[in-house]
Amino acid sequence: MSQDRSREHFQELAAGFLAGRISRRHFIGQAAKLGISAALLSRIMTSRAYAADSNLIDSSPDYPNESPITKERIAFLKNKPYKGQTINVMVLKATVGDGLKYWVPKWEEETGGKVNVAEVPIDTLHQQIFSDLQTTHKYDTYMTGAWFYGDFFVPKEPYIIDVGPYLKDPKYPYWNPDDWIPAMRTLYSWQGKVYGVLFDGDAQILYYRRDVLEKAENQQKFKDKLGYDLPNPPKTTKEMHDVATFFTGWDWNGDGKDDWGISLHAKVNEQGFFHFLTLAAPYVCSPNNKYFWFHPETFKPLINSEGHLRALEDYVKFLPCGPKEAISWTLGQGWSLFLAGHAVMEPTWGDLPTFAQDPKESTVKGKVGATIIPGTSEAFDPIKGQWDKFDLNSVGNTNGGSWHCVISRFSKKKEVTYDFLAFMATKKNAIYNCTHGFTGVQPGMKFEYFPPVGTGKVEEWVEQGWDPDEAKRYLDAYYQNLSLPVQETYLRIPGAAEYWHELDVRVSAVLAGQTQPKAALDDCAQAWERITERYGRDKQKKLYAESFA
Amino acid sequence: MEATASVQSKAERGFKYALLAPAVIWVIGLTFFPILAAVHYSFANYVLGEGITGYVGFDNYARLLTDSGFWYSIFITVLYVGITVPIEVCAGFILAWLITIGLPGRSFFRPVLTAPLFTMEVAIGYLGVTLFTDQGGLVSALLGAFGIQIPWLSTAAGGLAAAMILDIWIWTPFVFLMSLATLSAIPNDIYDAAMLESSSHWQVFRHVAVPLAWPVLTIAILLRVIEGLKSFGLPYALTSGGPGTSTQLFSIMADLTTIQFTDFGRGSAMGIIYLILASVVISYFFKQMRKRIE
Amino acid sequence: MENLLWANSRWGSKLLAMAIACLAAVWVAVPFLWAIGNSLKTHADIFKPGAIIPFLQFTPTLDAWRDVIGDPQALNCLFSSALVGVGTTLLVLLIGTPAAYSLARFEFKIKSKDITLWFLSQRVLPPVVVLTPFYILLAEFGLIDTWIGLILLYSTFNLAFCVVIMRDIFRDVSKEVEEAARIEGASLWQIFWMIALPLSLDGLIVTAFIVFAFCWNEALFASAVTSQHAATMPAFILASRSTRGVDFNFAAVNTILAIAPPVILSFFVQRYLARGLSFGAVKG
Repeated sequence: MSQDRSREHFQELAAGFLAGRISRRHFIGQAAKLGISAALLSRIMTSRAYAADSNLIDSSPDYPNESPITKERIAFLKNKPYKGQTINVMVLKATVGDGLKYWVPKWEEETGGKVNVAEVPIDTLHQQIFSDLQTTHKYDTYMTGAWFYGDFFVPKEPYIIDVGPYLKDPKYPYWNPDDWIPAMRTLYSWQGKVYGVLFDGDAQILYYRRDVLEKAENQQKFKDKLGYDLPNPPKTTKEMHDVATFFTGWDWNGDGKDDWGISLHAKVNEQGFFHFLTLAAPYVCSPNNKYFWFHPETFKPLINSEGHLRALEDYVKFLPCGPKEAISWTLGQGWSLFLAGHAVMEPTWGDLPTFAQDPKESTVKGKVGATIIPGTSEAFDPIKGQWDKFDLNSVGNTNGGSWHCVISRFSKKKEVTYDFLAFMATKKNAIYNCTHGFTGVQPGMKFEYFPPVGTGKVEEWVEQGWDPDEAKRYLDAYYQNLSLPVQETYLRIPGAAEYWHELDVRVSAVLAGQTQPKAALDDCAQAWERITERYGRDKQKKLYAESFA
Repeated sequence: MEATASVQSKAERGFKYALLAPAVIWVIGLTFFPILAAVHYSFANYVLGEGITGYVGFDNYARLLTDSGFWYSIFITVLYVGITVPIEVCAGFILAWLITIGLPGRSFFRPVLTAPLFTMEVAIGYLGVTLFTDQGGLVSALLGAFGIQIPWLSTAAGGLAAAMILDIWIWTPFVFLMSLATLSAIPNDIYDAAMLESSSHWQVFRHVAVPLAWPVLTIAILLRVIEGLKSFGLPYALTSGGPGTSTQLFSIMADLTTIQFTDFGRGSAMGIIYLILASVVISYFFKQMRKRIE
Repeated sequence: MENLLWANSRWGSKLLAMAIACLAAVWVAVPFLWAIGNSLKTHADIFKPGAIIPFLQFTPTLDAWRDVIGDPQALNCLFSSALVGVGTTLLVLLIGTPAAYSLARFEFKIKSKDITLWFLSQRVLPPVVVLTPFYILLAEFGLIDTWIGLILLYSTFNLAFCVVIMRDIFRDVSKEVEEAARIEGASLWQIFWMIALPLSLDGLIVTAFIVFAFCWNEALFASAVTSQHAATMPAFILASRSTRGVDFNFAAVNTILAIAPPVILSFFVQRYLARGLSFGAVKG
């Protein structure tokens, strides 16, 4: 009897440990009490490569800004180890830049070091980073977008360094890459090694007006018109189309003006094409195929495959469901339409629900629902060249910048720099970042989510002005998206920005009616081939393969 | 006698070279390397992180010269300049004339009419987005009051038109200033004499002001054309070259290629082609205009 | 002059002239007023239809102003812009004016007309094409993100203005006076310094304005070659485009901040410009 009980207890413990709810220290302690042998335990535990968490303390009153913290760290900080040392950080002038700046005085106080932050316009960030890497070597670390990674690995010795060695050293602030939802971890790694330190974790999911979809009147009208129940929320692309079309052209929010079904901005060079990428994923990515961009053997572009073509044709069907001018809107303008209450849906980043909570920015607080991007019943496998049928093929994405810092190989202060970056990545600070909208950070670590997934507390969100249910809905959907087994692969080869731009202008031209989807995609494929030739096909192929891990 | 003559001309020579040399040396010194580098890159294949990976002869040039997108961007750039510059020149000159003939409140009008020159094109471009948008933009609101709806930012023609309007707003003061300087350098007596002769403003304008101001006006036109062909900040901030690439003026295309995509090979080739085309056109223009006065 | 031309006009023409000028003033003012309006709006209001007149149609807020002015980088950029603008203008005038005079008065083996054209040609090439070589050049000398680096760059670009404009001014002005002085026995330097320069003061001022305006305006090199210390206002304004597109209310605040110093300055300088103008009249 007691053996059964202790086995149950052990199972609970093990489950809790494996889910990340219980710390390793606690698990070992409790398991030992139950009489589990060390040998057995060691088979259960994967060898943790990172700082000994048996030395982890949940918090130290002397260093309230880091939590959890190791004993070694506390000892290390006692004599202000970086006194007199200055590091140079290049960030873009944006929400994420502000997020980083917020932590500077706190880290400086704890460690005695100094951080010099240069804020650079987003248009010249790429140019400034690589000019510095190639000539001036002034900066120790840069805040990069995930799509810059390809460029970092072009030279024989990459421009950035692997932070693995630092992770093993317990005197640095503690954070654990294993806490990442795997899809997000990929963006910070290359060939299995971790190069980036946690900061932002972007993904696009579908936000919608749940109050509008829940309204009985609307449900009745929908059913009358289309013959089936109003999907709340839409789960397939067809449902999404129907909902968007249905809510376009009449006043469903009672302000006297006709409203729209969906908000999709499309100004060139303003990240509009991410909408297309996000919505197109389930047409091509599936359990049978992970390749969205290029053929892994020939490196020929896949962008004009039948699946991509159908995705674009369907995407164009959304055009009448939003204002005509939306094709020239910036991201902020697209958000404004939804936040002002005029659109029912918008597939976009977590900034949207964050702004929704601010009465100065929105009128839809408490009304926002969130769900994963609608899936398809048919996906095209561009490698085999055939359509596969599914009940529902849902694909996740990590589209966006996922802005974070990487350390320059030329930095003369790598340890100090790593210390600062890791400081911002400790659990306590990571949670602060993702609950406070001004940082623009979205949650990528399991612990940031609410139980049973993580240890986040809804009160922390409410404190920041969030409607508690809205926070839960948002995080649920966000987590669902990131944990979907099929993910749209993120393009991280040299020239990613150029490939994307060619797609961007052509999608924009199709939306403006200047060209047809097939011609546009074929033309895009040609343009991509030219880019590939310039960079060197073999090299691109190699880096493409490497970029998947 | 001869001695003094040669001494004079030697002093003269020394003087004239001394005055000119610093400028010439400066320009050559600071532009030689960059232009040489640009020509060098134009024959190469440049890849970020690796530098020049190989030389491709005239490949970059050939690709550009056969790229319809390249020619389109040159076409709309020429169109852009062809419409904005004449308007700027006429408006700027007329306003300068009004000031010159003694408009009351000159000390108010002069600084006010010069002010737009100090704005940043990029900032005005952003402002333009909020002016021409049909979501609460001032222009749309005003036109809407008359029932007119123009799709400024969602079409190529609209986008170009909006950019041109703002361009005229910024650059008319340039012509205004230069015209002002030259019109006021003309002695009063000439105006007075002409006035007495014909006692018509229009005659004075046509037969005195314009001919006498023509040399400097030529410079103003030339400078506006040169600068206008390079227009970047304003149209970029307004439309980013979109929708598609339909408002992608030449400099926008060059910027994307060179800065965003670090394709120095193609970007440099673009620049050299542009340089040749523009130099030919401009020097022809310059010589024609000068012929009229010299 | 005012008297004769203006006084002899019919009141109809006077009215027309006044109307045109006023219309032009309104045309100039509208974008500025709109920028002021934008700077007082929240994000949500920027694209709200009908939000044109503050207080009547939307509630103005000083949030954007507070955020921008509270950013020490804003003032730093203003200062950099001013410093670089003044520095470039002085350097350009210093180097360019003598060259312009020389080209106006003397002949060379190459026709001075062609030399002028060569200077002009420096402006033809789009700067973006030579951006990287210039960056490398500056990096070689450790001049990235420094005021000196920017001043050197801008002087190179703007020298052409000074040479081309001043050459034309010199050609028209003061020839007779100079000849008279020569006969009196004045040296070449004295003629240049004491006669030609003062008589073409208004041309110098116009050139200074134009060069300063170009420096103030220049965005491409400023944002590519500076990151922090020497960043100028245009780089700061470009940075109002963040990951979520442009913060239009911030951009509006930046627009107003950026334009205020030169415009205020020009109000003062206009008085000297006026003196320069009547100087030409007095010379008679």
